[in-house]
This record gives sequence, structure tokens and C-alpha cells, in this order.
Amino acid sequence: MSSYYPFPRKTPMRVTFLSGLTLLTAFGLVPAIGVVVLSFTDIRGLPGIPVRWVGVENYLDIVSPAHFGDNLNAIKNTLIFGVVTTVAQIALALAIAVLFNQRLRGRNLYRAIVFMPTVLGVTVIGLIWSLIFNPSGGPAAGLLARLGRDSAFFGDPQLALGLVMFVQLWSVLGISVVIFLAGLQAIPVELYEVAGIDGANAGQKFRHVTVPMLAPSITANVLLGIVSALQSYQLTYVLTGANNPATQLLSLLVYVQGFGGVAGSPVSQSQGYASAISVVQFLIVGAIAVTALLYLRKREARL
Amino acid sequence: MSTALTPAPATSPDRRVQDQVVPRRSPRRGRHTVWYLLASVVVLFYVLPLAYLVNTALKSNAEFSRNPIGLVSDPRLGNFVEAWQQGGFAGYTLNSLLYTVAAAGIGTFIALVMAFPVSRGYVRGSRWWTAFFVVVLFLPNAIITQFQLLLRLDLYNTRLGYILIMAAGVGVGPLLMNGYIKSVPVELDEAAALDGIGYWRYLFTFVVPLVKPALATTFLLQAIWVWNEIILATILLPDQTKAPLTLGLLNFQGTYSNQWGLLAAATMIVATPLIVAYLFLQRFLVSGVLGGAVKG
Repeated sequence: MSSYYPFPRKTPMRVTFLSGLTLLTAFGLVPAIGVVVLSFTDIRGLPGIPVRWVGVENYLDIVSPAHFGDNLNAIKNTLIFGVVTTVAQIALALAIAVLFNQRLRGRNLYRAIVFMPTVLGVTVIGLIWSLIFNPSGGPAAGLLARLGRDSAFFGDPQLALGLVMFVQLWSVLGISVVIFLAGLQAIPVELYEVAGIDGANAGQKFRHVTVPMLAPSITANVLLGIVSALQSYQLTYVLTGANNPATQLLSLLVYVQGFGGVAGSPVSQSQGYASAISVVQFLIVGAIAVTALLYLRKREARL
Repeated sequence: MSTALTPAPATSPDRRVQDQVVPRRSPRRGRHTVWYLLASVVVLFYVLPLAYLVNTALKSNAEFSRNPIGLVSDPRLGNFVEAWQQGGFAGYTLNSLLYTVAAAGIGTFIALVMAFPVSRGYVRGSRWWTAFFVVVLFLPNAIITQFQLLLRLDLYNTRLGYILIMAAGVGVGPLLMNGYIKSVPVELDEAAALDGIGYWRYLFTFVVPLVKPALATTFLLQAIWVWNEIILATILLPDQTKAPLTLGLLNFQGTYSNQWGLLAAATMIVATPLIVAYLFLQRFLVSGVLGGAVKG
């Protein structure tokens, strides 16, 4: 791979390359790998306290009776959140992309509008939807009142997770739409013409031309969806708080265990235990992502 | 993970396949109407929440309690003035600007100086470095270790520490640059070197102008991430005066949780610059997302 280096001296290249690498390693790679190391210690949130190796104690703690209920709840919520948002994201985004791919006037504008939440960020999005789902006097409450009902929305443990997933979907849909649109536009028109000559109707064209040709975009979107859904917690944090059992996700649990969920009070928290939860989360996300990737690759090969 | 997706570059829109499903010769009017109807439903779904935000922001407290949902009858800008003063958004905005420009700037620099030699094969093991770029894309959340690292480096609760952590979150940047640099002909490297131009001068005065679009996208993607980050800011910057805008807005919500007009105005203060910037930068972002999806 390495090709001829034409410049007089190699030192300048090494200097900048290594300085970039050092920063990435020190503040990106080392912390990521360090989580595994810390998960075998009893490290706490204050410096100066001796750190001991505790072996797998933190991992045993995860399944200990005192914690197992909470952890199982967080795992369950994480899985529901990940699976439902990913599947809904793919299905809805595909439908919207096909729609926008029609000869509609102003479709670049539509695409831009759907993509916009990516820029708005979780705090703004969280506040907008808190406003809409405001139980006293919000438009959603007003709508329910007409039907003679009411709801606490984010305050209702039965509803909270569903609503958070809904808002998550609203904010990430645009990315998938953009990816699908690009995939759709790369499909040669001839394929549709040939299918038309063979007498295929619109549904059959979609099923036998669009979906197979889109397989790579679908794979990309599924992976993106899984990784982002299983790791995203900022929106949940803004909408329902860090320590709400109804919407407790594994990543939020890491935050609560490591930092108490309150800014600036990391004193008593066992960050070793929090690291162990981090590792478990990573293993779950990794396992699901790899399984999905292998499955989708196999399907792509068959199509 | 090399999902072979080959999109048309988003910046040069799709002339090729514009009319694939609805044939040009026989546009069926009925079907067209349905498409437009569906498209407006989707668009409204995104525009209405924002419109409602504006509507609420213009309402005085009295009007909100009288008529929380309906259209504003007596629009006032008082909420904006009060929110700006009460929220201390000027300071938060400056913090956010500093973090965003510095972290995304450093991140883009890292992406450039690492991706160029890898893309050219000037460093040994290019294949492995490309794999490394993919790995940094999928790094797990590491809030505990990032906190511990800064604590032990005496960088906890400092602006520098936060910037360094955010700068390392380069995301798709290096991969994006790696791909884009291939569009600069290698012959240019050789010609420049023959003329006695050194590596740095070549990279920063010859290559940079040629890869501007990729640099812009890399910068923007990271900037959006930094601008919107909230949990790391909570953990690493307990000092209120160092908090970014996201945290400021969240604190504002905590203080004025029932004054919806004021809250909506504060939200708009934060959101409006983003929306305006987005209108101008949209094309870079879209192509950036695609770049990530192609390589990811």
C-alpha cells in the first residue's frame, strides 16, 4: 500500500500525524478502553482515594438481588427502545424517501425540513415536545380533553417510554430519509422500465426492484439506527430525567451510578460499578449490531 | 463495515432518475394530489411543533393561562427580552461558541493531518489506519473514564479539558477526509515536491483549498455534536459560568418550569441561530451524512 513519498523530509509529516494520533488516543481511545479496566476496580469519583482491584465483583453486583431488578428494567427498556425505534425509523424513513423521490415540486425543501432536527439538538427538541405534551394546557392535552380524557404524558410511567421513543424517532428520521433518498436516486431507471415492460405494477416494482436495490442503504440505516438508539440517552435525560424508572436506559444508569444523576456530586458513587454497566451495555450493543450486520449481509448476498 | 452504498452526491441533485415511478408522459393528476397531500402531512409534522413554539413564545403569561393552545391574539416580544436577561444566555452562548469552534477546529485538523498521509500511503500500514478510523467511529460511551482522566490530569472543570475531550470525538471526519483526498491527484504532490515545496506548506496551502468541501462537512458534523452535547458538559463542567448553551437552557427550564411563554422564548433564542445557519449549510450536512453512511 505504501507509496513513494516525494517530499524532502519525513519529519513534518510524522510530527502532525503523531500529534493528531496522540490526541485521539489520549482523549478518545484510552477512555474507551479504560472503561473495561476500571470495571474491575472500586474507583470512586474523587481523587486521592486508593483504588483497589476487585476482580469481577462489580459484575456480580449487577446480578445481585439488590441491583438486579433495576438493571433488568434498564436492559428491558434499552432493548425496547432500540428495537422499536430502529424498526420504525427504517419503515417510516423508507416510506418518506419513496414519497419525496416522486416528482414533487420543492422536495429538496421537504428533505431539508425533515433533516432539521439533527441541527436543533436534544435540549431544544426536548423543550419543544415538553411544551406540546405539557399536561396542563398543552395542545396534546387539549386534544385528549376533547375526547374526554387526560394524561400526564411524560409523567405517566405507562406512556413515558413510548413518548420518548416517539420524540427520538421525530429527531432521527431525517438522517435515514437522506440516506434512503440517495440510495433511491442511484437505482437505474432502466430497471423500472424493464419491470414495466414485464407488466409489473407499482407495488411489484417496489418489492422486486426498489427493496433489493436499496439493500445496502437498508444495512447502513439499520446499523446506524441500532448504534444510535442503543447509545442515545441525551434526549431521554432531557425529557424525563436521569433517574426515572419508566425510561431508565442502560446508558443513563451508567450516569446515575457514576455521578448520582446530580451535577457535581460524584463523591460516594462507585464508578467501577458504573463502568461494569458500561461494558455490559457495549457488549449488548455490539452483539446486536454484529448479528444484524451478518444477517443483512447474508440477505444482500441472496438478493 | 464497508457497506457499499453509492449515492449521487447530494450537492449535485439527482437529474438522472427524477421521474422513475410517475411516468412523464401520463402524469395522473389524482395520484399527484395524493403525493402532495402525503408530503404536506410529513412537512407539517415537522413545521407545526416549531410554529407552536413561536406561537407560545409570543404569548404573555396572562394570555397563556387564558388561552394556552390557540393562536396568539396580542403578540409580545417581552418574553424574549426577559428570557435573554434572566437566562444569562449571552455567557452561555460565548461558552458554546468557544467549545464548538475550538473542539471542531482541532478535530478537523486531526482528521486532515491523519487522513492525508493514510490516504496517500505515505505512512506504513494504510489499511490498518483506515480500520482505525472506523474504530474511532464506534467508540462506546466512556463518560466515567473521561471524567477520571480529566480529574487526574487536573483538567476537570476546565474549559481546556472539555475542549480536548470534545475534540477527540472526530466521528466520521477522518474517514470522510480519507476518501475525499483521493480526488486530489497524486501527481500534484510530486510536482509540488519537485518544485521544492515542503510537506506542511503543501498540505496547508495546496491541499486545504482543494478539499474545502470535505473540511467544511467534517467541521460541521463535529460542531453540531459539540454544540448539542449535554451530558459530558454536565459531568465535566460543574461550574455554572463555564456551562454551554444546552446546559444553560436546561437550567432555565428547571427554574421557570411553569412559565411556558418564557421557556418557549428561551428555546427560540437557542434554536433560531441554528435554524438560520442550517438554511445556509444544509447541503454540506446532507453530503456529510452520506459520506459517513457510505464509508460506515
